[in-house]
Amino acid sequence: MSSDGSPRFVRLEDVILDEAYPDVDLALRRGRHIDRDDVAWYTFLVDAEDHLEPLYRRFGCELIHRSDGYFYLLPTGDALGKRHLSSGEMLVGQALTLLYLEPATLEQGGTVTREQVLGHLAGVVGADALVRVMNPKRKKYDERVAQETVRNKVAEALRRLATLGFVEVVEEDRIRLRSALMRFAEPVRGTKAPEAALARLVAEGELVLAEEDPSEEESESDSESEPKSEPTSESAPESKPDSESESESASESESESESESEPAPDDESGDPS
Amino acid sequence: MNPNRVLASLAQRGPSLDLSTLDLCFLAALHLQAENAALTSFSEEQLADVFEQVEAVMAAAAEPGQPAKQRRSTHAIRRLREQRMIARVDGAGIVRAGEYALTRLANGIIEFFLEDDTLTRDSLTVLTRSLLVGLGEILTAAKSARTEEEWRMGVISPLRVTMGDLANGIERRQCGFDLQQEDFQREIAGLLHADWFGAVARCQELLESSSGTLSELNQILLRDTHQLQSLLQDVQEVAAEAGVADAEGAARTVVDQVDRIAAWGSARQRAWSEYYQYVHRYLRDVVRLDPARTLTHRLREHLAGTAGKQFALTLASAPPIRLLREVEIPPEEKPTVRRPRKEREQGLADAPAENPQAILEERVRGAIADGARALGTVTERVIAEVAEEERFVTTGRVAQAVARLGDPEGMAERAWVPMQDGLMIEEWTVRVAAEPEKEAS
Repeated sequence: MSSDGSPRFVRLEDVILDEAYPDVDLALRRGRHIDRDDVAWYTFLVDAEDHLEPLYRRFGCELIHRSDGYFYLLPTGDALGKRHLSSGEMLVGQALTLLYLEPATLEQGGTVTREQVLGHLAGVVGADALVRVMNPKRKKYDERVAQETVRNKVAEALRRLATLGFVEVVEEDRIRLRSALMRFAEPVRGTKAPEAALARLVAEGELVLAEEDPSEEESESDSESEPKSEPTSESAPESKPDSESESESASESESESESESEPAPDDESGDPS
Repeated sequence: MNPNRVLASLAQRGPSLDLSTLDLCFLAALHLQAENAALTSFSEEQLADVFEQVEAVMAAAAEPGQPAKQRRSTHAIRRLREQRMIARVDGAGIVRAGEYALTRLANGIIEFFLEDDTLTRDSLTVLTRSLLVGLGEILTAAKSARTEEEWRMGVISPLRVTMGDLANGIERRQCGFDLQQEDFQREIAGLLHADWFGAVARCQELLESSSGTLSELNQILLRDTHQLQSLLQDVQEVAAEAGVADAEGAARTVVDQVDRIAAWGSARQRAWSEYYQYVHRYLRDVVRLDPARTLTHRLREHLAGTAGKQFALTLASAPPIRLLREVEIPPEEKPTVRRPRKEREQGLADAPAENPQAILEERVRGAIADGARALGTVTERVIAEVAEEERFVTTGRVAQAVARLGDPEGMAERAWVPMQDGLMIEEWTVRVAAEPEKEAS
């Protein structure tokens, strides 16, 4: 809305001609979640929502606006590429959501440290279970190397979640939790049974179920040849969710080299505010 | 001041503090007694009395079942003296019992614990008003100052002492305010932790009250710091015109302090604004929508793997738009491509080979034919035609050629004759019989 109460955009053309449109459009298409902290982008989307919803529907996706105060693009067809979060990203995302809901996080103004995330994950999932989840293909592993792998994978997941707008890296070690994290809690929200909510969300294309698949190992090892920085599986619908690009069977030295090359936050999803 | 040097010096002195609750209570009791009774020092008996009172109070305040520790006052006083909390001030040595006073360090520590040094609207107003009035007087004094003494008494000293103290007072209270805000954030988290849904109203009240306080403080700071800066700038200008560098420097120091005060205000306002919005959003989106914390419990169970199926979120992932690389257009005037007309590499030409040994023998033969019969004479004539650096080698080769071409006479004693460049050779006499080729044929 403009200051005189009239709508800011009368026609779709006005929306497309707006200065913010290209950046917002690209960010949404790359899976970025835009919340109230992205002041300029969020305001633009609120004002242009009525025009953009039918536009994106023609591209086979839905512009979703959640009551928690964030937007994102959900592909419903094959026209736009899509991907699913890996198991590691899901695990870290859910742990961050738990932290987001904790009153103790209020004390820090909604920020947590990487150590807190790791500590919380280890506390909720259990240290051994966490190591097993993050090192799924290793029957035997050296404790030190396995722990190092967990730290690397959590750091990598945090970086990816930051590019998707779930969190924001405010300092080297501090992470601001954003409202889009509530997407991780969608299946367990509401008064209905979680199974029913899960089925509904699967039907809507919001998520896919992760099943234990013996072929997982093969597909993961296939993905080893792909470049690490690329998002995984721009896939057909209902593709298998866990498609981590990292080599699970990486050697010790490889896992150590991963730790050295801690990636920087992605500039592509730059904060508009 | 070099920080490294200061730190090295401090480290070398090895200062440390080890104060128990009893020590702090003892110091606090002394501080309060000194204030109430306007005492400047304490006798040893007074110290012991105060210590006993403190011990009695602490024993009464201790939880039942906890053993009360009996300590001797002498030991406590010694420990505090070692840590420079108490200093002997009478200077009488062993002549009589000593008089003791709290040091600046002890007073600072106790003031931190006792005084409510938090910035409030009232304290800030009083302090900034005092600063403004004081600076107005200093400006007047600066304008009328003529002598060095007038500058020192009317401008420099008040700027350094009074204004500095007032600005320090504001900064100290700012630190207190920061601590209070930290407590406040902890309190909100504690309230929610203790009574999740029931604490919403109380949290909102707290937020509004704190927000109002901060807003008022910031308004006062914005308004007053502007006036303070303006006055200080005037003082600086007057001092610069009069060429009093000390006064200018003192004013600049206070300007820096006022800058810090203003920056603190705006930074806290910004940080508080973010915190305020975040907590309000949290209360609305998280607490109100989940009064029984069901969401947290379910999510925790799900994360722990004890409930529900694992799932993965779907995201849009359009590949980046492919942009063709920009190509530089070559300039219009392009050089034409031609075949080179002549061969790039020159052909080899035949040249007669030179035999240096044959040339040398020819020269030797020439010299003998000209009538030279002594080796020295032949050598002299031949090496005169060669370069200086080759003469040594050529001398030997001449002797070889002469021996082959002529017939040297054998003598038991051969004289040494000097040549050019410091060379000496054994002299031979050469008899010419026949040409060697002819002999061979």
